[in-house]
Amino acid sequence: MLKFILRRIMMMIPQLLILSILVFALAKAMPGDALTGQLAQSPKMDANTLMEMREKLGLNDPVHIQYVRWVKNLLHGDLGLSYIHQQPVTDLLSGRLANTLLLSACVLLLTYLIAIPLGLVSGRWQDSWADKLIVGYSYVSFATPLFIFALVMLFVFGFKLGWFPTGGSVDIQVEKGTLDYYINKFYHLLLPALSGALIGTVGIIQYLRSEIIDTKVKDFVKTARAKGIPESKIYSHHILRNSFLPIAAFLGYEITGLIGGSIFLESIYSYPGLGQLFLQSIMQRDYSVVTALVMISGLATLIGTLLSDIILSAVDPRIRIE
Amino acid sequence: MEFLKVNHLKVYYPIRSGFFRRVVGHVKAVDDISFQLNRGETYGLVGESGCGKTTTGRTLIGLIKATAGEILLEGKDLAKLNRRERSYHRKDIQMIFQDPYSSLNPKKRVLDIIAEPIRNFEKLSPQEEKRKVQYLIERVGLHPDSIYKYPHEFSGGQRQRIGIARALTLHPKLIIADEPVSALDVSVQAQVLNFMKDIQTEFQLTYLFISHDLGIIRHMCDRIGIMYRGQFVEEGASQEIFNNPQHIYTKRLISAIPNVDPRKKQEQIKLRQHVEKEYKLSWQRYFNAEGKAYPLKRISDTHSVAIL
Amino acid sequence: MRANLNDSQQIAKDVSQSPSSLFILWREMIKDKLALISLVVLSCILLIVYGSALFLDQDKIVKVDLLSIYAPPSAEHWLGTDYGGRDILGQLIIGARNSFTIGLLITLLTGFIGLAIGLIAGYYGGIIDNVIMRIIDFILVLPFLMLVIVFVAIVPKYNVFTFILIMSAFLWTGKARLIRAKTLAERELDYVSASKTLGTPDWKIMIREILPNLSSIIIVNLTLNLAGNIGIESGLSYLGFGLPESTPSLGTLVSYATNPDVLQNKWWVWLPASLLILVIMLCINFIGQALKRAADARQRLG
Repeated sequence: MLKFILRRIMMMIPQLLILSILVFALAKAMPGDALTGQLAQSPKMDANTLMEMREKLGLNDPVHIQYVRWVKNLLHGDLGLSYIHQQPVTDLLSGRLANTLLLSACVLLLTYLIAIPLGLVSGRWQDSWADKLIVGYSYVSFATPLFIFALVMLFVFGFKLGWFPTGGSVDIQVEKGTLDYYINKFYHLLLPALSGALIGTVGIIQYLRSEIIDTKVKDFVKTARAKGIPESKIYSHHILRNSFLPIAAFLGYEITGLIGGSIFLESIYSYPGLGQLFLQSIMQRDYSVVTALVMISGLATLIGTLLSDIILSAVDPRIRIE
Repeated sequence: MEFLKVNHLKVYYPIRSGFFRRVVGHVKAVDDISFQLNRGETYGLVGESGCGKTTTGRTLIGLIKATAGEILLEGKDLAKLNRRERSYHRKDIQMIFQDPYSSLNPKKRVLDIIAEPIRNFEKLSPQEEKRKVQYLIERVGLHPDSIYKYPHEFSGGQRQRIGIARALTLHPKLIIADEPVSALDVSVQAQVLNFMKDIQTEFQLTYLFISHDLGIIRHMCDRIGIMYRGQFVEEGASQEIFNNPQHIYTKRLISAIPNVDPRKKQEQIKLRQHVEKEYKLSWQRYFNAEGKAYPLKRISDTHSVAIL
Repeated sequence: MRANLNDSQQIAKDVSQSPSSLFILWREMIKDKLALISLVVLSCILLIVYGSALFLDQDKIVKVDLLSIYAPPSAEHWLGTDYGGRDILGQLIIGARNSFTIGLLITLLTGFIGLAIGLIAGYYGGIIDNVIMRIIDFILVLPFLMLVIVFVAIVPKYNVFTFILIMSAFLWTGKARLIRAKTLAERELDYVSASKTLGTPDWKIMIREILPNLSSIIIVNLTLNLAGNIGIESGLSYLGFGLPESTPSLGTLVSYATNPDVLQNKWWVWLPASLLILVIMLCINFIGQALKRAADARQRLG
């Protein structure tokens, strides 16, 4: 087990390396550098001072030296300076990171809350009308693009019915730190999170359903039934126990989807998070922010898959033997 | 000159283990075997499953790479040829596979299956090609019209005949038959085996016949080699080995052949008990400390045994 | 000559009786009522879209008409007009044509790349397979959407062609993985060994022997991917990083809804395009799911 984890972490090292090179290369390919923003703000700067500053910032160094410096800064948590906002990228990210994490956590939580009961019902009462309904829902949700579903949700529940706020993460007039503040924040979260969750359930529903259908005819379940163990206990003790850890492991693989999803959700619900910041930065050509965001997302997915792989290998020893 | 001579053939697979997946040892699937085939004979390779007989056959035809050793077909070393030369010599060796279901591509018509080697080596017009395929399919006892059918429309025995027709297409000199009938019903086995004997004379074939079934081996083979854990334990003329087995492993195999005659049942049981006792007592005479056989020793012109 | 003719007729007759996997797949699929309806609906949509796109005057549609800005649906403009007074229905048809065509092109390109790489990795195995799989694993953990957006933003001379290339660069991996796994299983079968002993070259074994046995899986996968690709393309166009402006997509129409006023009060601008995307994706998915069930059932039957 330990050997597997170690090997799996070793496998991540080249991935990290290539990811950082890729992101760095992208950053270099983007037009403009750290000085372009300053130049725009003080247009009177002459060519000589510009040259000096470039030299000082090391922008004239060979590429590999710049790369090493960039990685060093990255490791120290220094993500550079935003050209547009003229403040460290880390400062820019911190508040929005919390928002995005909150949104993603809500999406995940709701996904599991919706998917697990549906999967259970659908697997346990296979071919019942409830099962057919759930399977139908999972097909439709699988086919629906997130941005359209979120737009329609916003149109119907936000604008037409007026049940939910239509943008932002919290109302301005609410005082920070009060209970109202948190309730208000949650209120703002609910519609975007629900939009994300309702379409993201299909994987878990289908996994649970087929697991249950496969397991309930296995011999150990029949034995349990023959011994007179009540049906509900058979499900909780014998069938579901094996399915829950893999479902938990899906979490890690969901991260790529969550990042993509948060871009759409945040843009549609004008929710101030990293996804929205990413779109704004790329449109304003604020490339140091873009680079930082890509790097962070890449790291998050790498770590997510790592954790999922480890959880799955703990559940299923076959994965460990290559 | 011998028709086919195999010298010190070895096929090893590395065992990797540990953090850096270092090679810590080898699985010796085929461990230094030498034998030869004379033109026109049937040579049997016998042994329990996992003894390396199938690996030997697949190495001879080039499906598996030999780790070391020579495979001389009419004096030319096949193991040393490069891919191009090898594909030319490939025509001379063909194979009949064990599983008549997986050895025929389900998506191809019989015509395309049998014509595959023709298309690789000969340029024939569609008419000539069809005529040749029909001749072959008739020769193996199927209706010429069946060339437009697909494999799933045939029974196991018929499919094996299609496999044989395919192997015959290029007029090979040697056919490696890897358990050719073990997937078939007993009622069909004899049919296919006798048919293989018929075409042997007609097409002047040499067979390397691989099987675990001693009854079939006795029926088919002129000479046999008995394999155990990648090595030969006994080799020689079929009659001699069946009548006068020397190695304890051979004795055990032969005593295990089922006998349908009820009057001989007691005799059979006694023989088995006797062999079992001998096996327990004289184990060291036949195997070394690692459980491997000793090198072969000639005891007559046509009989060698692996004893000290 | 006459004999020849008879022969070919005979062959044709026998072929029709043969178990062509695609034919069986088709027969099984149309038994599924939902899939059949989807097929009919999708065919109608495509017929109308591609048919009428031929007769539409694109210049007239994109011409700004300041007198009829945001006109609601009327006899002249069946689906109203947008902020530039341009006809929505015309844009819808052109957008649907572009979205479908480009989704299809991406599917075919990724299908081709995935097939070639998957076959090679699965057939040869060993180091080649290892290297390819490491690359695929890496691409799969990249934040796909973000990188596509970055590429779209920084690529010089951005056009439809580069968009297809950027998308394909990421999307071939899943298919390659699937094909590799199936090839790995297939190459252990004796018919592949037989072909090797018969002197058939490797490329021929991959294409002529193994590939036909993967056909139903490939069809299912391509169908489901087509729906996914149309979704991704229109999503990116919605964000403004999809098709260039000269090639309007269905997503472009939906993107007008980023203006809250349009979203709230001018439903005719964005809702038809949204529904059309939804209907197209649902239809393709239902067809794909039915094909998948048919393929699975066939596998069970042997």
